[in-house]
Amino acid sequence: MTAYSKNAAFLARQEKTNQRLRDKYASGALAEGRKLDFDSIGEPVLWVKDGRDLMLVVKMLRADPAVSINYLSSLTAYDNQDRQDGPKRFVVVYQLFSTTLHTRVRLKLAVDDGEAAPTLTKEWIGANWLEREVWDLFGIRFEGHPNLRRIMMDERFTGHPLRKEYPIKQREPFTTNIPFHLGANPLPTEK
Amino acid sequence: MSKDGSSFAYPFVLQDAVKWARKNSLWPMPFGTSCCGIEMMAVLGSHYDLSRFGAEVVRFSPRQADLLLVAGTITTKMAPVLRTIYDQMLEPKWVIAMGACSSSGGIFDTYSVLQGIDEIMPVDVYVPGCPPIPEGVIHAVLHLQKIIDGDMDRRPAERPSYDEALNAMSYRKKVDVLEANWRVNTDGSVVPGTVASKERV
Repeated sequence: MTAYSKNAAFLARQEKTNQRLRDKYASGALAEGRKLDFDSIGEPVLWVKDGRDLMLVVKMLRADPAVSINYLSSLTAYDNQDRQDGPKRFVVVYQLFSTTLHTRVRLKLAVDDGEAAPTLTKEWIGANWLEREVWDLFGIRFEGHPNLRRIMMDERFTGHPLRKEYPIKQREPFTTNIPFHLGANPLPTEK
Repeated sequence: MSKDGSSFAYPFVLQDAVKWARKNSLWPMPFGTSCCGIEMMAVLGSHYDLSRFGAEVVRFSPRQADLLLVAGTITTKMAPVLRTIYDQMLEPKWVIAMGACSSSGGIFDTYSVLQGIDEIMPVDVYVPGCPPIPEGVIHAVLHLQKIIDGDMDRRPAERPSYDEALNAMSYRKKVDVLEANWRVNTDGSVVPGTVASKERV
């Protein structure tokens, strides 16, 4: 596959996961609209159809012992302004990991400007801050997020600075502190 | 002091004594926000040992500190926090901007980073380097001691207004903040901001 990992057992496990994705997730009537890619180091990239399809795929992956995905490594996004990856403006990237098999699966969800992605906080509580970061810097809303407000920029900041149109040197100064508060949506309580 | 208990002192002698006491007992308030903070720990640690020059009592309360050692990148979100710490320090107080980031913003010429802490507070000594070597920081403290020795009465700093801070952070020209409320259409065209006003505290 590549030079970075030559562990044969690992490569076999990853290939098994890839085959499972080809058979169960990227083919069949349910997989209409999905697309399975492989990046330059041979890791699978599954483009899901829409938000509901993403939730379905995540639930399937978590329940599937053959891939045994149980960990959300990273959740980020990128600005597809030049439309190299489809007609939609943004692409949300979900980097999933199996802590037992050490294999990886990447999900990609294209969303348009103003379109919301579903929240993964029900599946992984760690998605909470990652989705807040994506909302802060790209302006992608996450439907059903318990506490969707800015996490990196000041809450009085306007605009979303990682969008390609944002002037990179446009700063907004604040001469006063912002008082501590939990936002319009308080933290979820234990039930 | 004489034998009967009465004391006497000439004013200029007392002033010199106060200067001598102040410059040799600087109490630093460390404000380390990134890798310069690690280098500052080395300065304060036993190897380089800033206490040889009297600046040994590191106070994490600004009320008890003389010297604000700003080490690291200051974002625009952190700027009011740093300014509040500076306001809480009692006069006389001095500021050392340690490293490229706190002196000029360093490599972070972006939307989120303050281009030097001198936009929000007066700075006495700048220390170049990314990060500076510990000897550089010690040299800055020794230089600050000379400053204290030469000129004790220092003008207190004034808090910048919103417009002053805005001008300082946008290369001395006023940015229309309302234009930040832009939107992007699905075809990629940019719509300028339409929000009439934004409430700021």
